[in-house]
Amino acid sequence: MTTPVTIPQDLWDEDDKTGSIVVWLYKDGAEVKEGDLIAEVLVEKVTLELLAPASGTLRIKVQPEVVVNKGDEVAVIE
Amino acid sequence: MQLTAEQRKGLLRTMALSRAFDDAMIALYWEGKLPIFQFGAGPLPGELHCSNGAEPVGAGICAALGPDDMITADHRPHHVAVARGVDLDRMAAELLGKKPGLSQGKGGHMHIYDPSVNFASSGIIAEGMAVAAGMALARRLQKRPGVAVAFIGEGAANQGAFHEVCNMVGLWKLPVIVVVQDNEWGVSTAKSESTAVERNADRAAGYAMAGEWVGTNDPDDIHAAAARAVARARAGEGGTILEVKTARLTGHFMGDQQAYIPEQMKQVDPIPPYREKLIREGVLTADEADAIEAEAKARMARAMAFAKAAPYPEPAEAFDHVFAGEAA
Amino acid sequence: MSRILTMSRAGREALDWEMERRPEIFCLGEDVFKFGGIFGTMDGFGAKYGPERVISTPISETGFIGMAAGAAMAGMHPVVDLAYIDFIGVCYNVLLNCASKTHYMSGGSVKVPMTLLIGTGGGYNNAAQHSQCLHATVAHIPGAKVVYPSNAYDAKGMLHTALRDENFVIFLTHKGTAGVGWMGTPIKTTLSEVPDEPYTVPFGKVKVYREGRDVTITGLGMSVHESLKAAEELEKEGISAEVVDLRSLVPLDREGIIASVAKTGRLIVTDEDYLSYGVSGEVITTVTERDPGLFRRPPVRVTTPDIPIPFSRPMEQAILPLAGRIAEAARKLMA
Ligand SMILES: Cc1ncc(C[n+]2csc(CCOP(=O)(O)OP(=O)(O)O)c2C)c(N)n1
Ligand SMILES: [Mg+2]
Repeated sequence: MTTPVTIPQDLWDEDDKTGSIVVWLYKDGAEVKEGDLIAEVLVEKVTLELLAPASGTLRIKVQPEVVVNKGDEVAVIE
Repeated sequence: MQLTAEQRKGLLRTMALSRAFDDAMIALYWEGKLPIFQFGAGPLPGELHCSNGAEPVGAGICAALGPDDMITADHRPHHVAVARGVDLDRMAAELLGKKPGLSQGKGGHMHIYDPSVNFASSGIIAEGMAVAAGMALARRLQKRPGVAVAFIGEGAANQGAFHEVCNMVGLWKLPVIVVVQDNEWGVSTAKSESTAVERNADRAAGYAMAGEWVGTNDPDDIHAAAARAVARARAGEGGTILEVKTARLTGHFMGDQQAYIPEQMKQVDPIPPYREKLIREGVLTADEADAIEAEAKARMARAMAFAKAAPYPEPAEAFDHVFAGEAA
Repeated sequence: MSRILTMSRAGREALDWEMERRPEIFCLGEDVFKFGGIFGTMDGFGAKYGPERVISTPISETGFIGMAAGAAMAGMHPVVDLAYIDFIGVCYNVLLNCASKTHYMSGGSVKVPMTLLIGTGGGYNNAAQHSQCLHATVAHIPGAKVVYPSNAYDAKGMLHTALRDENFVIFLTHKGTAGVGWMGTPIKTTLSEVPDEPYTVPFGKVKVYREGRDVTITGLGMSVHESLKAAEELEKEGISAEVVDLRSLVPLDREGIIASVAKTGRLIVTDEDYLSYGVSGEVITTVTERDPGLFRRPPVRVTTPDIPIPFSRPMEQAILPLAGRIAEAARKLMA
């Protein structure tokens, strides 16, 4: 079973703003646990936290410094 | 000293121009910095502290000053600079780091200098306190007229320099006016979290200075208090701590989310009420007020066009101006 | 377990771990309760530890940094956030005459264990009063330890060390290396795998980021990362550069510097602080005093010149010790 890691709709307020991944805290293929902080997301000057929605193996799909929108799938957890 | 109708229109004009300046800079700020934030990118790089909400202080105080008087401002200098008549084109160019800027691109927005109107500013909190007092001392030694005005924030009134300088101003009866712009916040720290007394104007008693407190963020009231302070200073009666309850509408700096500001502490824009007041009192019509605001925006658009079109300094110019008296 | 962390997050882990266990540690500084300090080292600590241990101060640096020294003398270990090093100007007496010298002047009878966190550096157009490095200005003071990690692993380990030190430690971080959002996306070489568990990194040991044969490039804070960029370029051209992070100015690992130069015979000292009377001169003198014969070619300094930091981008970019200037210096040295 795979769980998509998406940018939550409520990670930041304004719908028209975009963000970017600042850093993945785990390497592609690492084991993560549900609730772990797995990435930092930057919106304007503010750093936000992305948590793992499930436990399993992290497969990163979007690298840092790429624009992301709310709802974007940035990784999956297998 | 009562203000004439013409002078009050002038206050509105000054505030509108200052607002147009900041709004134009805010509109430009994120250009090149997004979508992936980069502090040093875009046409307006670095930090930017805007004056939106504080325009009445610049307008009201500067209207009470004459050409001999001297001003120091802080990291939030635009409203004071505009009110003092600092060259708008060259100030805009300075913010963009351009060669025709006031400081040829050396200073940026916190370091605005225009000696032609006796204006200086600094990004170090409360630095301008002593500098203003020193300017006043110089005029006394030179036997020339001139009142010095230090514009600071309520946060700066807790800096050592504030207290040391106020004591000397009181001791030596120097013609210095300390304008404490109480916008409630020093970054995220509320005045009540930083300041032992409710009003900095009350601190004047401890330094043998006069205290004035203006609670309205209305340029008429601010001007009236400033006029009293200036009259005392010119008469040799010494200095004043003049505190104004003002506003900081666009956060500490660009990108400040202001999540620390509770709903009930949201501040009011002082320009529309003043405009309404002038209309109500028959000083001008709504059309005239609109025209003033349109003129301000048009003037700022010209300044911005000038700044954008201007060239950058050459990299090697970084080495010029370290010392006076050396050929650039 | 380990994670890949920014310096900001790594430092926070160290402080959090120590604060959980040691009631004598408390935080002090402007806006630290709500904003968690300039690098977020105290992010969330207001909620976790409360306003008694995470104290937002007025803008009164002489007052609260002096109070930190006093609290340290009275048995606490304050952690003070001074935001930008440019602000030492308004509180320098505490650094210069009090926190640094009390232990000595008291004949060792009074200790001042405190950690002063300060951000340094420019490169993002914040002009002459908010872009300085000034590390030499504080490293010159006898009695103050001065450390300067440049990556997340060291940030955590060195902060643990600082918090367990019995002395006044000035803990510097270049703003551009910290990995805080307001400085943009972090530089990759500042990120490291950081263990969950606490660990210490000793002061006074250089870190060799990459080994090389031809030229030693020493760096500090941001200039480490510019040196690494330059070394990558140079490698493509067949020049093998060794990049050495000083990472601790007081104590300084003189043997570590000498050992590298003994191997390569060539030295470039990079430093974002001003050229004269500073770290770059100290590093070169360290080698020269041991044996000038270690230099196959005269050493070179790539630093910020002795001018205030200009605001405008073309001027600032030209005066910083960036990779291009460093690589150019290496090419000349190899020619
Ligand atoms: C000596 C010094 N300490 C700290 C700072 C950082 N700083 C810049 S603005 C500011 C808040 C100033 O508050 P206030 O004086 O009320 O002015 P406001 O920003 O509200 O206009 C602080 C702490 C500084 N520039 N200089
Ligand atoms: Mg304020």
